[in-house]
This record gives sequence, C-alpha cells and structure tokens, in this order.
Amino acid sequence: MSVTTLAEHKRNDIADKWGFVVHPSRIHRSVYTDGDIFKREMVNIFGSAWVFVGHESEIPNANDFITRRFGGRPVILTRDSTGEIHVLFNRCAHKGAKVCRADRGSTKMFVCPYHAWSYNLSGRSVSVPLRDAYRHHRSSRRYNLLQVPRVTSYRGFIFGTLNSEAPEIEAYLAGVRSPFDDWIDRYDGGAIVVTGTPRYRIAANWKFVTDNQGDGYHPAYSHLSLLSMTSQRYGADRDMSYFGGNVDESRMFVKCFDNGHFYVDQRPEMFADSAWAAQRPQPGREHYEAELQSRYGEQEAKRLLELAVGAGMNLNIFPNLLLIGNQIQLVDPIAVDKTDVWWFATSVADLPDEINTLRMRTQEDFPMFGEVDDVENFEACQEGLGIKEDEWVDCSRHLNSPTEVQEQDGIRALVTSDLTMRTFYREWQRLMRSEVRIDLSNQRQGKNG
Amino acid sequence: MSASASKKRHLLGEHPGPSTYVDDALYDRLLKISAQWSEAGLAVPASQAATVTALLNQECRLLDGGRFEEWLNLFVEHCIYWIPSDVVPQDPRREITWELQDRRRLEDRVARIRTGHAFSQIPPTRTRHCLSNIEIWAVGADELRVRTNLTIHTYRKGKQQTLPCMGGYVLQRQAEDDWLIELKQINLIDADQAQGNISFFL
Repeated sequence: MSVTTLAEHKRNDIADKWGFVVHPSRIHRSVYTDGDIFKREMVNIFGSAWVFVGHESEIPNANDFITRRFGGRPVILTRDSTGEIHVLFNRCAHKGAKVCRADRGSTKMFVCPYHAWSYNLSGRSVSVPLRDAYRHHRSSRRYNLLQVPRVTSYRGFIFGTLNSEAPEIEAYLAGVRSPFDDWIDRYDGGAIVVTGTPRYRIAANWKFVTDNQGDGYHPAYSHLSLLSMTSQRYGADRDMSYFGGNVDESRMFVKCFDNGHFYVDQRPEMFADSAWAAQRPQPGREHYEAELQSRYGEQEAKRLLELAVGAGMNLNIFPNLLLIGNQIQLVDPIAVDKTDVWWFATSVADLPDEINTLRMRTQEDFPMFGEVDDVENFEACQEGLGIKEDEWVDCSRHLNSPTEVQEQDGIRALVTSDLTMRTFYREWQRLMRSEVRIDLSNQRQGKNG
Repeated sequence: MSASASKKRHLLGEHPGPSTYVDDALYDRLLKISAQWSEAGLAVPASQAATVTALLNQECRLLDGGRFEEWLNLFVEHCIYWIPSDVVPQDPRREITWELQDRRRLEDRVARIRTGHAFSQIPPTRTRHCLSNIEIWAVGADELRVRTNLTIHTYRKGKQQTLPCMGGYVLQRQAEDDWLIELKQINLIDADQAQGNISFFL
C-alpha cells in the first residue's frame, strides 16, 4: 500500500511524531482532528507562548473584571484596587468551583457561592469561613486563587503566559511588533477602545482561523458573493476587488517573522487611492460624510473618513491574537473541533463621534458579508478531514519561491504564499516537540505579605 | 395582502441611491423605542389587530419561503433592521451590533444571497418563524408598536436549533388600514453570547 498512515507510523514507533505531522509543505490531518494533540496544544502552545487575553479598555477602572478562557482554562481578567492587571484562574482554592459566574462587572471581592471562600481582585484570600478547622495548613497563601504568573500589557493589549522562561513581550513579538505598532499608531495617539465583542462559535479546529488569516489566495473565491454583489450594485474597483485576477501581481504582500507571527499587507492596494471612496456603503454614510465635510472642510473630512475604514492589515500574533481591519480577534479553542472567535470592535478616543459611528457600521460589514463564508469553509474542512485515508493538508503554495525576499526583520513573500502557514507551523512544531512543565505550586507556599 | 406590499416598488439593481436617513435623530429614536418594549400600551381594537397580525404572519411566511425581495416590500423605504449584540441594547453609535441595516444594506444582504455564491447559505438555512404573545398598541395616529415573542426554528446541515427572541416591530400607516414595517428589532435571548451561522434573515 502506497499511502502511509499516521497509525502505521505509530506502530513503527516513529521517533519524531512532530517532524512527521508538520512538513515544510504539508500538515497532517491529525493536527486538526486529534483530541490528544489538542490537549497537548493547551499545555505546549497555550501554556508556553504569550497568550492574548483581552484589551485594557474592557476593564478601564479599578475593580473591573471580565471572564475569558486561557487555552481552555476559565480565567478572570481583573484590574485590582491599585490598578494592577491580573489573570486569575477562575477556580476556588477549596473544591474547585468557578468563583466568578458573571461575564463581566465590577466588584471588590469574589465570594465563592459554594462555601463562601472569598478573594480580592489580586486573587488573594480575603476570608475562609470557620477557618480554625484548617489549622493544619501552614501557608496562608494556600487559600489564594492561582493565577497566570506573568501578565503584561503591550500598549493596551493584555497578554499572559504560564511560562516563567518566556522572553519579554517585546522580544517575543519580534518583527511583527512594527506592523502591530503601525496598526495601533494609525490615529495620532488616539486610544483604541473596545466597543462590543460579538463572538462566533465555529464547529472547526482553531487553526483554520489562523491559517486563513494569512491566506491571500482565498478572497477571490471564498468571497465571490461579496465581490460580485459589490460589483453588481456599486461598480468595479470597489473594496477587495484587488483580490481578483492574478493577485500575485498586485502590490500586496505577506511578511513572516520569528516565533510564528506574520501579516498580510493590503494597504498598497486598499489605500492606493481612497479606501473610503471604495468602501461598500454603510448605513448613514452620506449623512455623516456631509456632516464632517461641513464641519471640518473637504480636506480634513477626507483624512478623517479614511479612519472609518479598516486598517488594510491582517496580523497574526502567535498563537491567538489576530488583527483584521479595525477589529481585534481572539481565537479561543474549546475542543479539537470547536472554537469561539471573539471579534472586538474598536472605536478611537478623540476621533469625531461621526467617525466612530461610521466605524461601528463598517465593522459590521465583513463579518456578515465575508466571515460567514469563511466559517462555512472552515467547518467543511473539519468534516473533510474526517477522512482518514487522505491525510495531508497542503501548505506548499510558492514553496521555496525565488520571489521571497529576506529583509532585516522577516521574510517578504507574494500575497498568496503559504509561507504564512509554514511560519506558523514551524513555531507550533517547535513548541509541540518541547517538554513543557507548568508548575505554579510556589504560588501556594509561604505567607501572604 | 397589504395593498402597498403588492406594488413591486424596489428591484435590487445597480447603483442604489444615497442613504441619508440614518442620522443622530434616527439613532435617538431607536434607543427610545428599544427602551419602551418592556411596557405595552393600550391594546388596539380587534379589527386592527387582525390586520397587523396578518401583515406579520405574511412577513414570517415570506422569510420562510426565501421570498426576500417580496419580504423587503413589507418595509417602508426608510426602514431599519436591527439585531443588537447585547441583551440590553446599547447605542449603536457606540457599540457594534450583530446587524444594523438600512434599506440599502438590507438589499445588499439579499443580493449577496442571490449571487449563488453565498456559501454560508448554500444550502440555505431552513426556517420557521413563529410569532406569539403579540401585543399591539398605537403611538399617535399613524404608528403602531408590536411586541412579540419571536421563535425561529432552523435546520441546516443535519442540525436543528431554536433562536428565541423578542421581536419588536414599528409599523407606519400607509393608508386607512394599510401598514408597513419601519423597524424590525430582534433581541436574541443570548445576544451577548457566541452565535453560530446567523447569515439568514431573523
């Protein structure tokens, strides 16, 4: 039999499973379908990389909190009474119940509803009823919530890691830091504020979302309904029409960095003339456009309106933070074939209200006209990969292409190159291969100071 | 069937005109209406209720039949279709929604499905829109509010699901006993939670 299955390799005791499932040109189906691989990802990927948890504007004030998952672990993202940010395990130190059952709110204390063990927003024990019966516990830290030991905010984006040896966030971001900064710095210092987080539940593995983020090949086909509706109703040369034809001849490109990060740059096409003029019309468009023109004059209105459309960049910050248009996406794996994708909408402090209103309507556009078809394809891939006999997912587009350019901070490639996927899986493979040991027991030793 | 709805007043064509009616006054009105769904006014007379119920049943039937162009004809020209993304609907100027459509973008949604390439709706989601707990009251002479429990049963790709919603309608008088929909507001029971494929019309 010519097809070699993973099962056969297992029988043959393949020495390097991770070398087998991730090739330079193909990925084994089990990477998307195997529950054991998924479990290992939650430790080796989400337990050792810097994981995106939320944005500072979601917890603007002392005592604010929201709940999230951290590689499947229920966590509470808090801002304590001193303003410090924590990512607490939402798990009572007593019997294990989730101490916080709300999605978000503001409080000075979490009181577990089971036996009323209570905690402040730094995770520290406040009280344990009838505590005398626990005299055998020497450590007062025994009663604290465990928490993600390293939490940092990179310019408002909150990341945490369970890995005590992870590099500082700036070093971790490596070359993607520059386009990330570009994305944040689009507004002359205006602060980004999260304004709503619609969430989509997808019956597919989380990595279909990250794979697609770097895929400049699919738009002309996956988003044909969006493109043909737009050209039928609004004429040619509208938003995203530059993905048609041989898109590799466009001025768009992808760029790939260390640590699994990459981005797609659509700006050379999208902002070649006016992105606002090419935008599919959103509700209120003409009214607010006229308002801005009368208030600020033609020139300034034109500049401002360009800020009501997307950033023209798709960033993948390994493993679970994506920036797409003006939205922040958090990829939240739930099971091997179940994922939540959080779409944080953003407005910008100091921009005119009219622009922020238009931004809300613009950010509704792609999820409803485009993302829905992406999800349909992710779910169809998940179903297709259920076939055991056809084992490989191709990621060989423009493999070893002479068009790749090694630049100082990364490799630049054609916009349809799968170099993005190859970059992601090289880091994925490295982490899956490693032996990760997460030990937070020191958090329970000694006394609360 | 409503007299005005029978007129084919709008074809999904090229170059739809400008849309200028979504302004601050309209957003203020949406917020005010949204806050008023929790209290019903004085019920309209039975004969008027029958007319309104017939209109809304027709709306459900057209949606369930995939007759979206005809469905659009049940709305006034300056209409709004709104699905908030929070259980307490926030100001759509400050918070993104699941959908906030004016007529033009509602037509875009229909036109997308009609391209034959809208993969999220191939095959289409089969739906049964069910209305119950209908309360109808008048606001002035030419406006009616209709608060309903809207339950949408769906089937797609081997899976059935139920979407329980508050369906709020604002109707505008066109003639003596002839009404069209100005606003359809859909408050999903789990608007603040993850949604699956909701790329059909709720």
